[in-house]
Amino acid sequence: MPVQILIRFNPAKPKAGDDVRVQIVAQHPMEPGTRKDANGKTIPANYITELNVIFDGQTVAQIRPTGGTSANPLFALKMKAVKAGQLKVTYKDLAGDSGEKTADLALA
Amino acid sequence: MDRRSFLKTSAGAVAGAVLSSSLAAALAQGGLEGEDVAKLDAALQKALGKGYKDLEPSKDVKLVAPTIAESGANVPVEIEAALPAEEVKAIHCFCDKNPTPLLFSVFLSGVAPYYATRIRIAETAPVRAVVETKDGKLLLASQSVRVTVGGCG
Repeated sequence: MPVQILIRFNPAKPKAGDDVRVQIVAQHPMEPGTRKDANGKTIPANYITELNVIFDGQTVAQIRPTGGTSANPLFALKMKAVKAGQLKVTYKDLAGDSGEKTADLALA
Repeated sequence: MDRRSFLKTSAGAVAGAVLSSSLAAALAQGGLEGEDVAKLDAALQKALGKGYKDLEPSKDVKLVAPTIAESGANVPVEIEAALPAEEVKAIHCFCDKNPTPLLFSVFLSGVAPYYATRIRIAETAPVRAVVETKDGKLLLASQSVRVTVGGCG
C-alpha cells in the first residue's frame, strides 16, 4: 500500500532569511509489534525505519524512527529559507515499502 | 503598614516562594516519576555506546512535552537546542519504560537544531532528549510524562 506523505511549509512562502518550519506527515500505521489484535495474536511490527529529507540535492536530515513513534507520524524540522528549491522526502518501512514525495519551497 | 510597603513585601514573599518551588523541582531531577535508569542505560549503550553517566544535563536543550498525556499513543514532543546549528550532529530521544526505549534518532546537517514529532509512551516515565554535538558531547534534558492509557499495547 503506498504511503501518503504530506509536506507543508509554515509559513507557506517565507521571506529570504526567515525560519521556515517543514512539517512532514506520513499516513502510516507505525505498528510497534507489541500490540495484539482481537484474537490475541501479535500484530507484526511495521514502522518507518528511515526517512531522509533532501533539500536541493543535499541531505539535511536523516530521521530514524522506531516503533516508539506514533501512528500517522509528524516529523517537523526548522530551517532557514535561504533560497527557493525542491524538498524531497524518501522513506523505507519494515514491510519493504519505500517511496518518495517532493514539494517546492517558494520564497515571498 | 501602608499599602505600598505591604505590596512590596508580599511581592517579595511570592517571588521567594516561586524561586524555592523551582529550586525544589530542580532538586527533584534526580528522581523523576517512573524512572528506570537501568533500562535506559542498556538502551543508551546499544544506541550510542555510552551510558547514563556520560550524559550531561544541560540547559541548552529544551524539551517540550506535556506533563500529563491522556493517551500514550500520541504524545507531541518538541526538542530544541540553543546551540549553533553546525555544532549539533544528532538528536536522540528515549523513554525509560518503553519496550523499545529508543524512540528516534535524527541526524541533522544544515538545518536548525530542532525536531518535533509525536511519540508513543507505554507508561508513566521520563522522556529523555539527548543532543549529540560534533565534539562528542551528549547533552540531556528529561521530563516525566504521566500517562493514563499506555500507547504500546
